[in-house]
Amino acid sequence: MKRSLFRRCVDLCRAQFCSPKDFVVRAALLVVLFVIAHVAGLREYTSFLSGTAGSLEVSWRWGAFLGLCYLALYLAVVILVPILLLAATLLAGWEHFRAKC
Amino acid sequence: MTAMGDDWMNALLKRVCIGVVALFAAAAIWLPCVHLVFTGSPANFHRPEGLSPKARQLAARHLALWTEPDLKRGELDRMRASNAEWDSMGRSFLVWSLANMGLREPASKAAYLKVIDQIIDETVRLEAQEGIYFFLMPYAKAQPYVTQPARSLFVDGEIALMLACRRVLEEKPEYQRALAERVRLIVGRLERSRLFAVESYPDECWTFDHAVAHAAIRLADYLDGTDHSALLRQWVSIAKEKLLHRQSSLLVSSFNLDGAPLDGPEGSTIWMVAHCLQLLDEDFARDQYERARRELGRTLCGFSFAREWPASWRSPMDIDSGPVIPVLGASAGASGMAFIGAAAFHDDSFLRSLAASLEFAAFPSCQDGRLKYCASNQVGDAALLYATVLGPIWEKVKTPRKL
Repeated sequence: MKRSLFRRCVDLCRAQFCSPKDFVVRAALLVVLFVIAHVAGLREYTSFLSGTAGSLEVSWRWGAFLGLCYLALYLAVVILVPILLLAATLLAGWEHFRAKC
Repeated sequence: MTAMGDDWMNALLKRVCIGVVALFAAAAIWLPCVHLVFTGSPANFHRPEGLSPKARQLAARHLALWTEPDLKRGELDRMRASNAEWDSMGRSFLVWSLANMGLREPASKAAYLKVIDQIIDETVRLEAQEGIYFFLMPYAKAQPYVTQPARSLFVDGEIALMLACRRVLEEKPEYQRALAERVRLIVGRLERSRLFAVESYPDECWTFDHAVAHAAIRLADYLDGTDHSALLRQWVSIAKEKLLHRQSSLLVSSFNLDGAPLDGPEGSTIWMVAHCLQLLDEDFARDQYERARRELGRTLCGFSFAREWPASWRSPMDIDSGPVIPVLGASAGASGMAFIGAAAFHDDSFLRSLAASLEFAAFPSCQDGRLKYCASNQVGDAALLYATVLGPIWEKVKTPRKL
């Protein structure tokens, strides 16, 4: 029987810590958080990097905080997500190799 | 129970160890490759002739700012909330850019001239209506200017260079008089000072502003057949003698009327200064660029950036440096201005890796062919635009004019 997408997601979320599935779930979570931040328009607030307010409608500190959140999520997606996915691939390969031996 | 717990713990530890090794291996593969995702050809950014794709996209956004009042007001208000100087600098970099673009793309000259004149007229009107303080930071009012009546070389120099660049692109009689008057004022003040030091703020002189003002004088000489070459040579000679930082031999960024340094060398200053020096003393300009490249330019994993200060000089962060990234010392302001240096001195490898950093960390946003960098602001983007198109005006002025 074909498992539902929901069921697959639940299984993924129950993945063992430091397993390939675990890395994939973490990568997916980071991507989802980044997409939310992006859609919410937080990219504009990264202007705090040049000392400029992202918007005059929010305080400088709050704007900088939003910009920092976006920056952290962006770096996570560009740096961490590929590392997590590569690590998941390496681990899966290692487990496959061990199972064969 | 204890044996089961030990087994579980051993299995977990083993899994974590293998997981960590996999993460390190993945990082070792990915980190050296990240820059490849963001690295393009330097020709995407700056090319000897015509307009690069980046120049076209950045220009489209800036031209829209000057044709859509709401967009412009929002952008300028955000900048002025941090620094009123940026309003003036944003205008200047855009006019200097458009003048170069007009020479690169004669078919669009009329459209560029229209915006150039709009910017110049509005800037001069604002200066006349609101006074010099409109384009200065509030501390300009903290004490009176030593040289009276109060004038700022920052404002005079930038407006003079705007007028001069416009006239190099195409002559306009009203601007001929305006430039001659502005140059007369600047030269008068330079000659009144033993050290050729003119205030931008009360008893505060900036090398950036002097370099821009001297470039404007050089352009005025080219346009009007005047000759200030002795004054220009003298200023360069005094700068070499009095304004070089002892440890790095880079020009300091600010000094008082007695020539005593107030700040050491700064990345937000030196790259533009080196570019302006190309009109005054090519060898000194090249020397300053190469020193700045060595002292301030850094490349890490294929990404380049510029530090605000050399290792031999430390200063607190300020509005020019912007936030400085700890350990690396990377500054958005210095890195943005480094594009001007790299483009002016045809340093393609530095330009390519700076552009990779820009695409990686400045958050480009391109809509309808209009590009802006979210981490930047209008003046930052205008400086980048200038870096993409600079060259033709300087080349034209360096070529002897046929009378």
